[in-house]
Amino acid sequence: MQTTGLVGLAVAENPHERLRILYTKILGVLENIPKDAAYRKYTEQIVNERFDLVKKESDVQKLQDKLNSGQIEEVIVQAENELSLARKMIQWKPWEPLVEEPPSNQWRWPI
Amino acid sequence: MWAAAARGLARAALRATVRPKNEVEQKQLCAFGEYVAEILPKYIQQVQVTCFNELELMIHPDGIIPVLTFLRDHTNAQFKSLADLTAVDVPSRQYRFEIVYNLLSLRFNSRIRVKTYTDELTPIDSAVPVHKAANWYEREVWDMYGVFFANHPDLRRILTDYGFEGHPFRKDFPLSGYVEVRYDDEVKRVVAEPVELAQEFRKFDLNSPWETFPAYRPAPEPLKIEAGAKKEDAK
Repeated sequence: MQTTGLVGLAVAENPHERLRILYTKILGVLENIPKDAAYRKYTEQIVNERFDLVKKESDVQKLQDKLNSGQIEEVIVQAENELSLARKMIQWKPWEPLVEEPPSNQWRWPI
Repeated sequence: MWAAAARGLARAALRATVRPKNEVEQKQLCAFGEYVAEILPKYIQQVQVTCFNELELMIHPDGIIPVLTFLRDHTNAQFKSLADLTAVDVPSRQYRFEIVYNLLSLRFNSRIRVKTYTDELTPIDSAVPVHKAANWYEREVWDMYGVFFANHPDLRRILTDYGFEGHPFRKDFPLSGYVEVRYDDEVKRVVAEPVELAQEFRKFDLNSPWETFPAYRPAPEPLKIEAGAKKEDAK
């Protein structure tokens, strides 16, 4: 019987399909971020790298080794987290310049 | 025999017992700090890596939830574990309380520290929506320092006595407190009375007369040229 070995994480049937859907959704959400934002640049890089590996490798064990990020179910969880983060980033817009400078003695140590 | 001991001493002096510097880890943490600062310039005010290879992120208080969510959910970060949530009281600053979050990434075996600031009256966003572990830590910071956390599910005292007044970890709260409790037989219950010490409080000045960190002296202030007094016409 198959098992992930992790509590609460069930074995995913057809992980390639699930990852394909998630990565396409992430790339779609990233389109709404300005092109010069660092978050968009780096996340697109990560997602495209992983997506290419998923497209090329059809064996689950070898895919896990190539991605080097734990079990394939954990990779699915990471992609879901990245998707929810990308949706929240659109609201927060963290690529804008600094909100407010701190007082000059705020981060001085020793006082 | 003495010559052998002298040789051993000379060799020991060349290898001082200081923790060796881990340059690789230092570089990795610097690179990651720059990476995060590039992605979140709206909230990050300062990034530093201590000499003990600890990465610290200084944040504006509006950015607590965005930064903590980013560090938890981003694939390159994955700091899933909130190890600690504390506050530091520095009364001389305008924003006297410094809130510190310690995070641990299990995927990458790495730690990071996130620091924010607030004063006595400004509330801070609660980290409970991001990390459930923050619940009791924020209750402790409220109880001990008086920092209010907005959107906390249940913010009440956790360590002090039920009717206790004051926030004990503040620097202006005295060591022995203001009240002491005793059982009073007449009223048959515990009463709180102003504290009576048998000996007055002694404060020892433990500062050494020698300068402690000569390498970390503050830069001398440059001499400023001020306008001189006007010369009166001599008669």
